[in-house]
Amino acid sequence: MPYDAARVQKELVEIERDKASGVGIEMKGDNLGHLVGVIKGPESSPYDGGTFKVDIEITPSYPFEPPKMRFITKVWHPNVSSQNGAICLDILKDQWSPALTLKTALLSVQALLSSPEPDDPQDAVVAKQYINEQETFRSTARYWTEAFAKVVNDDDKVTRLVEMGFGEGDVKAALAKCGGDENAALEQLCGGS
Amino acid sequence: MVKVKIVSWHGVASWTWDAQDDACGICRQDFDGCCPDCKMPGDDCPLIWGTCNHAFHLHCILKWVHAQNPRAQCPMCRRPWDFRAS
Repeated sequence: MPYDAARVQKELVEIERDKASGVGIEMKGDNLGHLVGVIKGPESSPYDGGTFKVDIEITPSYPFEPPKMRFITKVWHPNVSSQNGAICLDILKDQWSPALTLKTALLSVQALLSSPEPDDPQDAVVAKQYINEQETFRSTARYWTEAFAKVVNDDDKVTRLVEMGFGEGDVKAALAKCGGDENAALEQLCGGS
Repeated sequence: MVKVKIVSWHGVASWTWDAQDDACGICRQDFDGCCPDCKMPGDDCPLIWGTCNHAFHLHCILKWVHAQNPRAQCPMCRRPWDFRAS
């Protein structure tokens, strides 16, 4: 249980009210100590169009200690571990202040996506690529956004498969059978016809 | 002219902290309320100012100052924290 549950609850209400900020928080059950942050990829960055989830752990010392944040969604970025999502950001470490909030912290992480700091890397391989091969870096980051950070809802999948010429009923049945995997459903639709 | 005789009266006063801000930047509770550890606002849960002119609940800023090593900064402006003599 966090030290100051009232403050965390207040923060959740505030962040819920401000939908335009591009960041949000989801509850995981009713545990205030473990939350999921949601960050929209910034425009004119390789992360544009992606939705990135961040695991948030609130220690009992919050707000006197920073919240622990780690990307759940895979991100290709010099300051984010491509292995485990660890984030290298000063305000989540020694530059934390209790006047900061979960929302301002998430906004800082969003700003970090726009402005990598390759001189203070979390992932040395990505940072090296960012410095030496900008074009490759951008296309890899873009690819990871497409592959891991796109929220595709079932309606979109149905529409796309129906546009290919399959019957709506068959499409829905195939998707259900394949657990929502669009490519597997397509293979099944092709194999079955 | 009607003569009015006052038989009894109730004095009512209101108070507020003069903090130039509504809420404590640490616990986010109203300054006219109290910190999360206290029940009664007012003298039991006073405000304190730093030399940078930022105010907090005394109990909140003390926790922050004690958690910082070696030198605490103001949570709002990051200037070195010193208590302002009142």
